[in-house]
Amino acid sequence: MRRVLLLAASIVIVNAPSHARSRFDISSQNTVAGPERGQRAPIKAESEMDARLARVERWLKAVLHHKPGEPDDAAREVNGWSNSELRSLWIDTNVVVKLIRNPKAASFSIRAEGQSRSQDVHYAPADFARLRALACAADGQIGAGAIVESPRCLETLVFGRLDDELRDLARHAHASKQRGDDNYVLRRGAILEADVAMLLPHNSEPVASSGGPAPDRFRMHLADGQGTAFRQVAIHWELARMLLDFVKPSGADRAAPGRDDMVRDWYRATASWMQDREDYDDMHLDRARQIFPADPVILFLSGCQREVYAAPRIQSAVRSAVAPPGTIFGIASDRGELHHAEDYYRRALAAGSSLPELHLRFGHVLLLLEHEADAAQQLRVALEREGDPLLRYYGQLFLGAAEERLGHGDVARQTYREAAALYPNAQSPHLALSALARRLGDRATALAEMHIVFELQHADSPPDDPWWTYYRSQARNADDLLESLWRPFLTEVDR
Amino acid sequence: MTLRGAFTALLLSTALSAQTQSPVFSTKVEVVRVDALVTDSGRPVLGLGPADFEVLDNGVPQAVEFVSYDQIPLNVVLAFDMSESVAGERLAHLRSAGTAVLAGLKRNDQAALVTFNNQIMLGAALTGDLGPLREAIEDVAGVGDTSLVDGVYAGITVGESDAGRALLIVFSDGLDTLSWLSSAAVLDTAKRSDVVVYAVSVGKVKADFLRDLASFSGGRLFELEKTANLSATFVSILEEFRQRYLVSYTPRGVSRDGWHRLEVRLKGKRATIKARPGYLAGPG
Repeated sequence: MRRVLLLAASIVIVNAPSHARSRFDISSQNTVAGPERGQRAPIKAESEMDARLARVERWLKAVLHHKPGEPDDAAREVNGWSNSELRSLWIDTNVVVKLIRNPKAASFSIRAEGQSRSQDVHYAPADFARLRALACAADGQIGAGAIVESPRCLETLVFGRLDDELRDLARHAHASKQRGDDNYVLRRGAILEADVAMLLPHNSEPVASSGGPAPDRFRMHLADGQGTAFRQVAIHWELARMLLDFVKPSGADRAAPGRDDMVRDWYRATASWMQDREDYDDMHLDRARQIFPADPVILFLSGCQREVYAAPRIQSAVRSAVAPPGTIFGIASDRGELHHAEDYYRRALAAGSSLPELHLRFGHVLLLLEHEADAAQQLRVALEREGDPLLRYYGQLFLGAAEERLGHGDVARQTYREAAALYPNAQSPHLALSALARRLGDRATALAEMHIVFELQHADSPPDDPWWTYYRSQARNADDLLESLWRPFLTEVDR
Repeated sequence: MTLRGAFTALLLSTALSAQTQSPVFSTKVEVVRVDALVTDSGRPVLGLGPADFEVLDNGVPQAVEFVSYDQIPLNVVLAFDMSESVAGERLAHLRSAGTAVLAGLKRNDQAALVTFNNQIMLGAALTGDLGPLREAIEDVAGVGDTSLVDGVYAGITVGESDAGRALLIVFSDGLDTLSWLSSAAVLDTAKRSDVVVYAVSVGKVKADFLRDLASFSGGRLFELEKTANLSATFVSILEEFRQRYLVSYTPRGVSRDGWHRLEVRLKGKRATIKARPGYLAGPG
């Protein structure tokens, strides 16, 4: 069983991209023929810029064809693009969505997550016209049955550059608008990019700075508490987050993702997925909190992530890793991370969360911070309200540790025994009982409890200690959250 | 270090019944045992008796009642990291090293095998029958995470499960990632135990826990980059342990509970002495 942990780091980009200023010959702007579904033809282009714009077109078609939750051909095509291609896509789709929101826009300033400065992006007029055409299609302005509201899109319609698939996309986007949701490409694009990141094998390349305005993403693989590889990986999550930043909730006159339920659910579900798969990304929850500063679930997951970062497996890996120049882990010392976790849990409580599990994890963090009395109080609240055996097991185990440190040996012994009763094949309560007995001078009991631990290897059912999965058990409902997220889009596909 | 009662004292007496020294222990007093390596310019100093040692317990001189050298059978506990990083050549070297230790045992010595990854397992309990132990060592394979702290605790417990001088040899190529017990709790246990811990850490990890553990128990930490010479390291540990004196005394003039600072010296002789810096007594 190999566990892989992923950490994202940021790199500061200081140079404007030369390729963003490249010129494009309008004579090469041929319509890309719509390929058969499932047999997507390679992109043919006469210049780098031509290839970039063709890729935007292909991406929009992938958005149209992708079935949420499926590693289908559309997702596979996007997954096949290189990091460099995806960075260009990030820039160009950024411009497309800005055009969707403001068709009059003519100049574009872009700032990636983690970068301190914006950078201007320039296109040759012909390239820009083509991007505008794609934006018109993505906005539902052009296509069968669509109403052309923007004069600029009318010009594009006259050019007749859109093939049937893009017209189909426009029709869907228009229909979505008619239903009151002006975010067809944004929502489905974010779903597509997240699905690529979650459902398909990761593409990675040796670490190298791109030198462009698009974000870079680095991943450290961990195994057994040590970094085993450092790679540059595709920026699908960054693309998804960028798209959702432009979501305009029903009735709003401008982008306001913080008022949109789907965006909130997307962040909840994807952040849970990351924690369940131990695929951590600081920026994901950072952005989620910027958008939803008082969401109790996002604050809870933020606390969980920081609690994970304080755990030995992460701390040991970060301490032993040599990160590429210009990158940062964004991980503090174990106590620093515990204080971050404490802060998020307090904020989640202040936001009105009634999750018993919040009290449980808050109690665990307080225990690690050596605030045993406060920890015991939180853990008792969790145990009073929680009926799930898994969470009760954690609660009893942690409460036992708190009581032991408070000098209440008898209470500690009793709570450890209750934990042992909940999971008879778990070793941790018996280790705790043994160490407690040993400390109190009772060697016979210490040895007897260790014999129970040793006997577990011969038990009929394999040893199963929930402590081993504590640091991802908070996300055990990740798959359910994703199913709920995908469901409305699947219904739309069926329709 | 620990305070052992009448049970230990009687066993010590039995073990030494054939020796020239015939110490008599009261069955109602507690005896402190200090395992000490005495060297001069790196060579072991031999032939020392109780009169040669000076022991200070919290600064109070104690009367050394008994000194043993290579007379009490050993209980050697091997505690091996069996996480997923222990594979291939490293695993083969570890198996060879474990087998080499078994080959170095003498009659009446015993050995045990504890392995740890997610799970703490007893590969073989303390036994003088080395056949099953060899089989257990051959069966080990790396998988999962590293519960180093839990594994060390298990090793100490196994070492204490039988009278005799207990040597715990811990091998790990990583840092703890999964233990339930805290390192502080297990260091506390080590301070209460007379099991001597020699630890072998492989790789570029900071083995702080193992360093503290070896220090508190009077043992030693070996930090290796590779495992090519692991067998030689293990054998040298066993040889060094055999060259240690077991110095015993009944504490007098000091409070029973709490931390006892220990100083072990030779009277009138130049030597380097490696022994535990103290012991913890009474309930914590």
